Amino acid sequence: MKKKTSLLNILKRIGFNFMIIFILFYLLFPFYWAVNSSLKTESQLFMTPATAVPRDPVTLEFSPTLQNYASVVTDGQFISGLVNSTIVATSTTAMALVAGSFAAFALGKLRFRGRKPALYLILAMTMFPQVTVLTGLYAVITALGLSARISMIFSYMIFTLPFTTWVLTAFFKELPDALMESAQVDGATPFQTFRRILLPLTAPALVTTGLLAFIAAWNEYLFALTFTSIDPSARTVPVAIAYFSGAVARQEPFGEIMAAATLVTVPLVVLVLVFQRRIVAGLTAGAVKG
Amino acid sequence: MAEKSGNKPPGEKKLRRKSRISDLAKSEERLALKLLLPALLIIVLIAFYPLAQVFYTSFTDRVFASGEETNFVGFDNYRRLLSVHITELEPLIDETSGQQLVDPESGELLYERPLDVLPREPRRYREFNQFDLFGKRYVIGATDPSFIDSVQNTIIFTVISVFIELILGLVIALVVNSKFRFRGSMRAAMLVPWAVITVVSARMWEWMLAPSRIGLFNAFFDWLGVIDSPIAFLATGGYQLSSMIAIDVWKTTPFMALLLLAGLQTLPGEIYEAAEIDGAGKIRQFFLITLPLLKPAIAVALIFRTLDALRVFDIFQVVLGSSAYSMASYNYFQLIGNRNMGMASAIGVIIFILIFGFAVSYIKMLGVDQE
Repeated sequence: MKKKTSLLNILKRIGFNFMIIFILFYLLFPFYWAVNSSLKTESQLFMTPATAVPRDPVTLEFSPTLQNYASVVTDGQFISGLVNSTIVATSTTAMALVAGSFAAFALGKLRFRGRKPALYLILAMTMFPQVTVLTGLYAVITALGLSARISMIFSYMIFTLPFTTWVLTAFFKELPDALMESAQVDGATPFQTFRRILLPLTAPALVTTGLLAFIAAWNEYLFALTFTSIDPSARTVPVAIAYFSGAVARQEPFGEIMAAATLVTVPLVVLVLVFQRRIVAGLTAGAVKG
Repeated sequence: MAEKSGNKPPGEKKLRRKSRISDLAKSEERLALKLLLPALLIIVLIAFYPLAQVFYTSFTDRVFASGEETNFVGFDNYRRLLSVHITELEPLIDETSGQQLVDPESGELLYERPLDVLPREPRRYREFNQFDLFGKRYVIGATDPSFIDSVQNTIIFTVISVFIELILGLVIALVVNSKFRFRGSMRAAMLVPWAVITVVSARMWEWMLAPSRIGLFNAFFDWLGVIDSPIAFLATGGYQLSSMIAIDVWKTTPFMALLLLAGLQTLPGEIYEAAEIDGAGKIRQFFLITLPLLKPAIAVALIFRTLDALRVFDIFQVVLGSSAYSMASYNYFQLIGNRNMGMASAIGVIIFILIFGFAVSYIKMLGVDQE
């Protein structure tokens, strides 16, 4: 009897591990292909059939090249793009999280008239395609005389603020009302309750929405392309990549684009690795007891 | 408090209590407004004018980036985009035999030309599609078949890709929610597709789907021996939309998975302990506990994924260009290619209405806005 269950457990473990491997393969393989392409010269890229590692066209020996990386790193545009992207994405995320968590606390835990219209109003702001609002947004920015970086930060609110607000509202709603009541009995003002008790409890949601919003802002292309057209020094990474002229390759610098994509993705992965510890379970479980 | 008010007449006590409650309610309302202020300010500053302008422009014939005079045209743009006409096609009859003519090459039955039966006034209708019903052939004509096509593409794309993303995202979230050794690294690794710049990931997939053996998929299928000649995934009608769905599912499943993972984290562990004691199996636990409790997180994830999918632009624009449109890439074509800003704005408003409809039905269906 005992043997049987342990055999079942082993089978379960194997199945689970297969699942993990399958998921990782699915999610990572296309990225591996980008890395693979970034290590190929132009002639290697056009080999038929495509090779799973960079190979010499004649001898078929393993022969990766770093020339794509070299030309990306020496491209000043790319480095300044990294700096710009970091500034813009960080500011956007911070603003969206602060404004979003304030609004979400009100929408999720306070009673007031106009709660539903406010929720819908915030969501409605992101229901238009970016192309459509582009001209109007450009007019606003020119009228206010905002610099390219500031205009990117503000315009990215259009898609990050509704997202952070809605996700955090859902999480605030899930927190038991008893928490607020007991804090109020202890003499805390609602805002203190929010800052000291509820906000720390929503840490998993804050980290999650923060990461997703950061990456969305980091990757945004259309607004960045438009707003940096007058100020090339403010170009973010996606725009800088789009402007690659092809220093190595004659036509389209595909290898360089892939090298840049690899270089840009790695810091993001490190960022997630650092912050994912914050997505931890069981925070609310103990808080309501007693 | 209690002993103090004890001496007073009961009516006054009630009154005081009431006013205290309304005081509390008022201060709560004031706090709520203060907290909403930053978000509302941002909306007014950054979204109000552009959105109002889109609504207004959609009723005009404004030309993009030009000094031409703008006229108010009412619902003309909408009429041009959305007019659809369905009519029956008469079969072509062979005069001598009285039988319907058949195309000698394809063997298909022949009907009269759609152009001859579709209305030309006030605007010319062009063929969008044909279908058979009860042995009769009908033609769907539209004044702007490309737009109707883009609506169809976008809706099919959205429904299928969001559905797959939900299932896959849920599976991944459940896996990385359980404890195992490299859980932290796996959580970082699983976000890689979302982290790759959208425009670049579109180019990357375009390369992998290349119509010869320089592309991964054709090289792989050729190696397996399942294809005779390379498939032009991005130029063949049937494969285009599937390719777009595959790219989007790969790219945005992590978004779904991470949101659902955060939702899973807030579920109280005690319920599972209790269920375990009651002898409920893992599968029963999932359907009876996890899924119902996860509903708010699922709703929010669905709303934002659907909203993004209905506005899909980058991958259609980069990979398919003008060979097949999504609503947003058709919008871009009208604005930049045709410089027809009135029409582009009308498309924007139609997308807005569609998204609003989807959002409201999700909210009602999953009951997220209940108190």
